[in-house]
Amino acid sequence: MKKSRVLKGIEGEKTFRAATVGALALLVFFFAGIVVSLLTYAKPDILGATLFSREILFAIKLSVVTATVATTISIIIAIPAAYAISRTDFPGKNIVDTILDLPIVISPIALGAALLIFFNTALGQGIESHVTRFVFEVAGIILAQFTVICALAVRLMKSTFDSIDPRYEQVGRTLGCSKMRAFFRVTLPLAKNGLVAAAILTWARAVGEFGATVTLAGATAFKTETLPVAIFLSLATADVEKAVAVIIVLIAISVVALFTLRRISGTGYRI
Amino acid sequence: MIEIRNLSLPLGDFSLKDINLTIGDGEYFVILGPTGAGKTVIVECIAGLQRFKRGEIWIGGKNVTGMAPEERGIGYVPQDYALFPFLNVVENIVFGLKEKRCPEKDMRETVGKLSELLGISHLLNRGVTNLSGGEKQRVALARALATSPRILLLDEPLSNLDISTSKYLRLELRRLHEVLGITTVHITHNLVEAEEMADRICILSGGKVEQVGALKDVFFSPRNDVVSDFVGKPNILHCETCNPLGHGLMEASCGGISVILPYEGNDAKKISIFPRYVFIYTGKPPGPELNRFKGIVKSIQPFYSLVRLEVEVGENLLLCEVRKERFEDMDIKIGQEVFLILKLTKLRVYH
Repeated sequence: MKKSRVLKGIEGEKTFRAATVGALALLVFFFAGIVVSLLTYAKPDILGATLFSREILFAIKLSVVTATVATTISIIIAIPAAYAISRTDFPGKNIVDTILDLPIVISPIALGAALLIFFNTALGQGIESHVTRFVFEVAGIILAQFTVICALAVRLMKSTFDSIDPRYEQVGRTLGCSKMRAFFRVTLPLAKNGLVAAAILTWARAVGEFGATVTLAGATAFKTETLPVAIFLSLATADVEKAVAVIIVLIAISVVALFTLRRISGTGYRI
Repeated sequence: MIEIRNLSLPLGDFSLKDINLTIGDGEYFVILGPTGAGKTVIVECIAGLQRFKRGEIWIGGKNVTGMAPEERGIGYVPQDYALFPFLNVVENIVFGLKEKRCPEKDMRETVGKLSELLGISHLLNRGVTNLSGGEKQRVALARALATSPRILLLDEPLSNLDISTSKYLRLELRRLHEVLGITTVHITHNLVEAEEMADRICILSGGKVEQVGALKDVFFSPRNDVVSDFVGKPNILHCETCNPLGHGLMEASCGGISVILPYEGNDAKKISIFPRYVFIYTGKPPGPELNRFKGIVKSIQPFYSLVRLEVEVGENLLLCEVRKERFEDMDIKIGQEVFLILKLTKLRVYH
């Protein structure tokens, strides 16, 4: 009798609300606790010195440059690919859709290992010898990041195109646009918020990418040392203060990315 | 002129079946049918937005079946107007003109002319997302007309509007058509809309053309039950003789009964009245004897929340509708004698 009173009517509403808000609070405390423990662990003088050290500045620059290049390539490929899968029906579409999801669910280290094995094949070695070197090189970081984030970019862009009524493009066609002109003059402007959001999320994911990068490009200081690799190298040498400083940089980058994303969400984009 | 020849198009469970239509130059043609009849698909086929393997579309004597939408000279206003939300009103209107690389001066002239014609001059610099339904519709019309299309396709253009705006815009659309004389194909499921707008209508049901003609022809001579049901199953009485009574009235003899009608200078050939305007009484109703008839109930059929009764009056079988509760109160049985009143103001006359 008592139990049913707690779970039904106004009391039930209160109980349900308390349970859901409680779960949310627990999660917020968990993540806030991690960040606060990092901030309290970091000593300001060591943090400042580490942040402006040549090695960390190199890692920040390398991460930003490689993530930007990988994101740009991903978005350029993801836009037409996502459009095709969103607006075209073809045999085997479900299989293609599943293949595109694989990089999202497969562990990045497995992807990196797969790439490494590919560059040990005749074709891979041909590319290494005659096109450009990827293994243990900066180009390898970009390739590893691209492999991990491209599927995410396609998925995000597909959901953006799915949410745009094809009717807009059709009206564009009746107003004199060819299929391609209608895409550039109508669909792409309508996809702008989704496109920016996809770019921010994939860029942030690329900056934080570690598994595939370290497997393909290695972890060489001042060469292939991105921010996550810098954390790995610092922990490997038991330099915890330095690791904490780099983690704080990564968190700062993520916070800026997420706030930008939230601003876009405020102007109409939802993910 | 638009000609649709033998158009068939399977679309999953639905299909268009051997559509043949001819729409004259400058005609206001309404395709009328229930939801799911295939009206939008036909319009999409005319616009080139829907590909099909069987049939042909001809516009202005030219086979356009294989042509892309941008090559057909079509103005299209979809049901939700699809105004580009990232452009303001004037940018929406000149969208097609920019695509045609129209000179700036001509664009300004076109915008000025259309905005004045459609009464949207005050909206030109506004964003489109906050416009009212009626304003959106007019902007969408201006955008479609800006490129001087040969044909205007309107896909349920009034269905998202409130009753008064819809009524006002019906008049506006008709006026616009008279001013521009552009061949217009308007699709709707609303009989009143079709009646006010159309030069001719096409009744479409289940992907099939049921009847094409002037509304009064369709209304007074429905080709089959599908058409009759769709136009409201009107009772049609055939007039044998007519006798003017003065005071704007005449008496028509129809199958053994005399019906009093408004007199407009011509004899009536047929009279129609919807079943909902045929009132039924078990006893003699009070009031004047005008259009009051005695009859015998021949059948009783439940119809949603109503009951439909067929009553034999003279040589006519009149259908009337009553609410279920009222029917139960009256306790009417087949074979019973009842009284019917035909509401004078709801009689439609075919001269």
